[in-house]
Amino acid sequence: MSATAATGTVQVRGACPHDCPDTCAMRITVTDGKAVSVAGDREHPYTSGGLCVKVDNYLDRVYSPDRVLYPMRRTGPKGSGRFERITWDQALDEIADRFRAISAEFGPEAIMPCSYLGTQGILNGLNVGDPFFARLGATVAERTYCDSGACTAYTMTIGDCAGVDPESLVHSKFILIWACNVMSTNLHLWPFIAEARKRGATVVVVDPVKTRTAKAADWHIPIRPGTDGALALAMMHVIINEGLTDDDYVARYTVGYEELVDRVQRYTPEWAAEETGVPAEDIRRLARGYASAQPSVIRIGVAVERHAGGGQTVRALASLPALVGAWRNPGGGILQLPLWAFPVNWGAMMHPEMLQPGKRVVNQYLLGQALTGGLGLDPPLKALMVYNSNPVVVCPDQDKLIEGLKREDLFTVVSEQFMTDTAQFADIVLPATTQLEQDDIMFSWGHLYVTYNHRSIAPLGEAVPNTELFRRLAARMGFTEAVFRRTDDEMIAEAFDWSAPAMQGITVESLKEKGWQRLTVPPADQYAPYAEGDFPTPSGKVEFKSSIAETVGNFVVPLFRQGSNDHQPGTPVDPLPHYISPRESTRTNPELAARHPLSLITPKSHAYLNSSSANLPLHRRVQGDPTVLIHPDDAADRSIATGDDVRVFNERGSFVVKAKVDKSVLAGVAVSAYGGWRMHTTSLSTMASLNPTVFADLGNAPTFSDTLVQIEKA
Amino acid sequence: MAYVVTDACVDILDQSCVEECPVDCIYQGDRMMYIHPDECVDCGKCMTVCPSDAIHWEHKIPVELAPFTTAAVEFFEEHEDAAGGASSRGPVGVDHPLLRERRGTGED
Repeated sequence: MSATAATGTVQVRGACPHDCPDTCAMRITVTDGKAVSVAGDREHPYTSGGLCVKVDNYLDRVYSPDRVLYPMRRTGPKGSGRFERITWDQALDEIADRFRAISAEFGPEAIMPCSYLGTQGILNGLNVGDPFFARLGATVAERTYCDSGACTAYTMTIGDCAGVDPESLVHSKFILIWACNVMSTNLHLWPFIAEARKRGATVVVVDPVKTRTAKAADWHIPIRPGTDGALALAMMHVIINEGLTDDDYVARYTVGYEELVDRVQRYTPEWAAEETGVPAEDIRRLARGYASAQPSVIRIGVAVERHAGGGQTVRALASLPALVGAWRNPGGGILQLPLWAFPVNWGAMMHPEMLQPGKRVVNQYLLGQALTGGLGLDPPLKALMVYNSNPVVVCPDQDKLIEGLKREDLFTVVSEQFMTDTAQFADIVLPATTQLEQDDIMFSWGHLYVTYNHRSIAPLGEAVPNTELFRRLAARMGFTEAVFRRTDDEMIAEAFDWSAPAMQGITVESLKEKGWQRLTVPPADQYAPYAEGDFPTPSGKVEFKSSIAETVGNFVVPLFRQGSNDHQPGTPVDPLPHYISPRESTRTNPELAARHPLSLITPKSHAYLNSSSANLPLHRRVQGDPTVLIHPDDAADRSIATGDDVRVFNERGSFVVKAKVDKSVLAGVAVSAYGGWRMHTTSLSTMASLNPTVFADLGNAPTFSDTLVQIEKA
Repeated sequence: MAYVVTDACVDILDQSCVEECPVDCIYQGDRMMYIHPDECVDCGKCMTVCPSDAIHWEHKIPVELAPFTTAAVEFFEEHEDAAGGASSRGPVGVDHPLLRERRGTGED
């Protein structure tokens, strides 16, 4: 069923739009033009019918009385939340006039987009504004929110390969879940892990917190935040020195093994035990179990890259499967980004050829500094256009970002479904559609199915999809290129390289009819594309010693920066995997730790997707009051009890939440799930005010998990 | 946070929910099933397959059935060994007292 019916009841095929690996196939029931239920598609082999707490109640979102449904113009001081309704014509005129005036006075680089994956569809997601801002000549936005460090590390090690088919995990004999709370953030993978366990697999979780996933595992290995690289390197030490390597695989399909052998000698289990807090015998046991039970698989979470040495941690983890020959069989290897199996036609979405060479690049994590003179930008930023993102909650340096957004001389446009913490500071707010009100086509970064999302209801109020927003804006700016006149159907026709082998038998028409189709790749019980090497690296092999690290140094994958390859970091990178300790820890920075002795980590909430849905009453009730978990010993030292209001602070900022004393966290670690909105806090601040803006070693990944804090009673 | 089985399950025990549950957290008492509130991950699959419409989400449960939410918590406090996977635990063999209050012994 593809059309929106005005009367009667119809079932429409859709896809969850959220930035989650699962990309669930959905069925929307529409009666007389109104959606009455959203459910998972039970026929889907991977997502299999269940949605999750974030999306089960998607209609609460769609029909929320708080939706932004009309263009709005600010009438009070910035941040006052006072707006008046205006027409689309008025809004577009004002935006175009301001963009033209700012371009004329300061140059177009004084304008910058700010966006990410508030919706993940190929049309309306990551790249939807890229052609417009390239044509405008705006500052290029670098968006390294998620997996950018890992992508750089993979490119250097195993290439941009899809890794393991998650459905083949049923064949795994040893499943090592590293920094990933599968049951909250990758739920639909769990049944495959559970099935593997039934067939005798061992499941191990490495995490500073005994998460619900860790509780369900055979073995939970608590580890100090930011030291994962030490554990991975010490595993290599054991595997190599105890002769647990697959020598034939190593000889045929890897480069740099001899140098790696030399390198890892310094990373003994005893050394790693000191660094990580994991006993040396446990490290040996882990390495032996991982190496000997084949096929073994590592499922890593995004969290693993979010500290000073995050990139090298992923380099080490990505090297492990080749050492033990895990890639030989279905269910063996490393799983993080099946995305790379999808022949998405990124170029047709972002049109990097429209970028003017040498155009300035600013990382969105530095937005607070960029808006307040901290980066010495010339010209300074005079206009900001935010879509698909809520930077006040998801960027670090919150206090500075607020200071910047309050600038009366900054013209801010926000396209949104709700009056978020960021939209509150806008001059113009534009109404954005939800997934039910738009057509899109989805890749997944967690499974191997293309999914089609049919529009199931007419847009509410005057909301428009992002594609339409940029069509309108481009027309108003006088941009006449064909790319700005494409219909959604024409964009969908360009979304994939349909001639690629993985798309054989898949067409727009077949997708529209079936809703989803598996990529044309071998079935899960035969999926082992790297059994004989053939990695997408310069050598075609796993590069323990990375030629890209040697020749290019550090870089951000251009997909995360509108396709631009200018102004890359380019800093030299040691081509062999190595350990970089956290910047902020009691061991590496005792002076700072004397004042701020606790390591703060800020995992994803169970009921929110980043900051999405954190405004909806039901989701807030499920998630409960924002809390910080601290170990009983740390609580006792501070006379803190569960339920106390506590102030979590460091020299960058502070926030106030309720304490929850909980032995599921390591002593010395504080855990506060993120996503809650600033406006709902008593301190008018979230943990984003405490996070550093310093990047990790590779791919300009953030260092959220490399943050020392102190906690006291509020 | 959890989904909750209510007394529409009693003496029916269809157990389609057990097949669907991705985390194996639906345990049999004697005459009805119980969802472990700490193990449930809120996916909602059990609710949609239940032929008796016995399962509700704790946050949307009809008020007259709300005591079953507390009953489930108490059930698993009472039977601490019912944890870590229902299939390996097997039936607990008894029910929460709320059941007798509402449905009697089932033998009349």
